Amino acid sequence: MSRRVAIGFVTILIVGLIWLMVTSVFGVIPSGRFPSPAETWSALIHVSGRGYGGGDLLLHAYNSLRLVVMGFVFAIITGVPLGLLMGWSRRAEALINPVFLIIRPIPPLAWIPLAILWLGLGDAAKILVIWFAAFVPSVINTFAGVRNIDRPVIEAAYMLGMPRMRFVTEVLVPGASPMMFTGLRLSLQASWTTLVAAELVGAFYGLGRVLNVAQQDLYPGMILVGMGAVAILGWATTRALGMAEARVMSWNTAALAAKG
Amino acid sequence: MGVIQFKNVGKVFGPKESGFVALKDINLEIADKEFVAIVGPSGCGKTTCLRLVAGFDNPTDGAVMVDGTPIKRPGPNRAVVFQQFALFPWKSVYDNIDIGLRNLNVPKAERQSRIAAILNLMNLEPYAEHFPHQLSGGMQQRVAIARAYVLDPDVLLMDEPFGALDAQTRVVMQEELVRLARKNPRTVLFITHAVEEAVYLADRVVIMTRAPGRIKEVLDIASIRKAEDWDSHEKIEDVMDLESFVHLRTQIWRSLREEKADQHA
Repeated sequence: MSRRVAIGFVTILIVGLIWLMVTSVFGVIPSGRFPSPAETWSALIHVSGRGYGGGDLLLHAYNSLRLVVMGFVFAIITGVPLGLLMGWSRRAEALINPVFLIIRPIPPLAWIPLAILWLGLGDAAKILVIWFAAFVPSVINTFAGVRNIDRPVIEAAYMLGMPRMRFVTEVLVPGASPMMFTGLRLSLQASWTTLVAAELVGAFYGLGRVLNVAQQDLYPGMILVGMGAVAILGWATTRALGMAEARVMSWNTAALAAKG
Repeated sequence: MGVIQFKNVGKVFGPKESGFVALKDINLEIADKEFVAIVGPSGCGKTTCLRLVAGFDNPTDGAVMVDGTPIKRPGPNRAVVFQQFALFPWKSVYDNIDIGLRNLNVPKAERQSRIAAILNLMNLEPYAEHFPHQLSGGMQQRVAIARAYVLDPDVLLMDEPFGALDAQTRVVMQEELVRLARKNPRTVLFITHAVEEAVYLADRVVIMTRAPGRIKEVLDIASIRKAEDWDSHEKIEDVMDLESFVHLRTQIWRSLREEKADQHA
């Protein structure tokens, strides 16, 4: 593990060095096209200190993170139960699936104009769009997860006289959870993509707003800072989800460990 | 009590007129504490028989009853042991066995003592906190049998329970089941395609025909077992060596082979 981490660091170091070489040292890429490390650093200082695009970096990052978490959590709360229901009841599936088939091919970003028209440039429109982007993969993967549970396991639950609520919490949810988490990871990615896009279109705060203003100001250093901030937050939230997954599915990691 | 009755049972999958006829005119009565094995060619409907008693499927014609009550749905008085074990992978061995008792609202202290007893009986004590994936197939099936037995069911339904195990494990489990059944007799309906297994375990062996599945023959093993004193032999291979055992086995084999020949004629 530490060896892997070390190799990872070396790779990052090399990429950093190449970056330094082609921009500052040899000037292969002019700074108007891609910022040097020094310019990026100064942009970072700029946005963290004096602020940029209406706020400092923490404010922008906080706003973006808040919207993603809200949209994502809202999508889980609504999507997972719906997926469970569709996986469980053929009738619910027959009822709901046609709607999904129509809505699914529409890219979440295509909903942004409508969301803004309905709810304006504030938080509500963005949460709606993020919810929409994250909702579909949560539902579909939870649904598939339920359908993937071995038939005899379900029959065993019946045979054991499982009450309805316990059947949901102790059979359907854990049984579907491997695929459910795959869906949630996709949902989280979709949430970030959609958020940045929505903020690019129009926002008062947020990392997308930073990117948008920096583009108008022809400020490549700041664009890179914005991209980096999105990358770090995206990584951190994915990591948090992974930790939740490891916790919930300890039985599965135990199984993997036993297999070596 | 645990009397199983099949009365003129028929099962058709799909539309009644044009569907697949899995069972036809099944009449069978299994006495309380009797061990009955059903053998037959694959696709003869023997598993369907078990599923009807379990309540996973309902008959198209006739009635399947336990203690005189027609079966509508699955329930813990008819415990099932599945070929693929069907344990809950996300629950420890202990919790897998516990869940059925929890569903019956058995008080915690009693649950603990019953689980301790069954773990001891099945030699599972060291594995109580293991997850199913961490156990071999034989151990998993022990857990599944423990999970069924702990419910103290009227009827135990076993659907090719040793079919997925290797030959050695299979023999150990067969001996184990005999030991268990002696200590704690139950009405057992046992599905298998292994003839030796049926003769070794069962009081009666039911031979079924190819689809549509009917009962072809019912052989009484218990009287021969008693007369020839099979139970004095501890090891399965010693029993299988006895002339009376070989004779019965051959008889069933012939009967099954006729079924296959019929098909090609």
